[in-house]
Amino acid sequence: DAFLSFQRSYRSRPTHGIGKFKYLLPKEVPKKRKEKVQMKEISAGTEYQFGDVNIQMTSYDLCLVEHFAQYVHRLCNRLSIRVNESYAMPTKTNEVLFMEERGSKMQLDAVLTTHQRVVQIRGLSSTFAPILLEIIQSSQPEGVHLLMKQHTEADFKSRLKSRPELEELLAEMS
Amino acid sequence: SCSSWLPQRVPLQGSHWQSSLLELRTSLPVRAQPKKKKKVDVKKEQAQKERMKKKLKKLEKAAPELIPIEDFITPLKYSESNRVRSLPALSPEESERRVLLLKKWCLFKQKQDEAEKKAIKALVESQQEALKELRLESEELYEAAIRRDEGLFPFEREGPSYTPPLPGYDPPEGKCIDITKVYTQ
Repeated sequence: DAFLSFQRSYRSRPTHGIGKFKYLLPKEVPKKRKEKVQMKEISAGTEYQFGDVNIQMTSYDLCLVEHFAQYVHRLCNRLSIRVNESYAMPTKTNEVLFMEERGSKMQLDAVLTTHQRVVQIRGLSSTFAPILLEIIQSSQPEGVHLLMKQHTEADFKSRLKSRPELEELLAEMS
Repeated sequence: SCSSWLPQRVPLQGSHWQSSLLELRTSLPVRAQPKKKKKVDVKKEQAQKERMKKKLKKLEKAAPELIPIEDFITPLKYSESNRVRSLPALSPEESERRVLLLKKWCLFKQKQDEAEKKAIKALVESQQEALKELRLESEELYEAAIRRDEGLFPFEREGPSYTPPLPGYDPPEGKCIDITKVYTQ
């Protein structure tokens, strides 16, 4: 009987764990597979609930917009609103040139960087939406432009790199 | 009056050798043309199409990448330099003052947060009460009020500014150039 049974190690006996050896080998790091960037399903929402809503905050000031995004995220957590994603859109850089008073040359004034953060929420109930809007508006800092809109595929596509070769080939094929 | 250099869109009249507007180069087979040319042409076209399809498949296989965000990449000049700032030592009065200030700030923030929570609660409660009363008044209006508001989104609002715009300010002429780096895959 003892020969047929497997691993009958009594935990109180000194022979418990006899035969184990994997704990002695060095730990194998699992191979990191590159996750494919796929678009998650956009929910349209029901009659009493909004689907995916994007809260986009834009500003020239990075720290301000970052902190405001964190605040909005925490607020949604506290009010048990499901937050799908909280990401940053690519930064836009603008060169501002102005014409000198006496002269025809354009002079460089400043280089401005526009930062944008997006908090995506789902399942916002229709009665609570105006309240949330009111709270966010009351705590909106200076210089931060707020935009709330439904999430669309075009919004997701704007985050991806452009593929001119693919587009060229597709244009040629059709 | 159309300028002469514009390409003629009108189908060429009298050229009944032309099969269609698109394939301007191909025409109805002229008797003098040898047959080999036609086969080689078709084969070449097919081979070209195959190559294009293969290229398309290969490009489509590669997953689309997200544009890297410059905000999260520290520029190299901040990590390479050996400059280290040595802060001056704080006197005990100064550190005491700072700790007390921190405590006062914590209290202030806590009061602010509690006020916000209270405000949200009050808003929700009053809304629920109003809806209850509305329901007692008429079921139809209640149903209409519960539904989601399509005109709510998109919602845009500019942040408040420290000072109002100066009246009669004449800004200098200028322009804005977008120099964002365009990433291609």
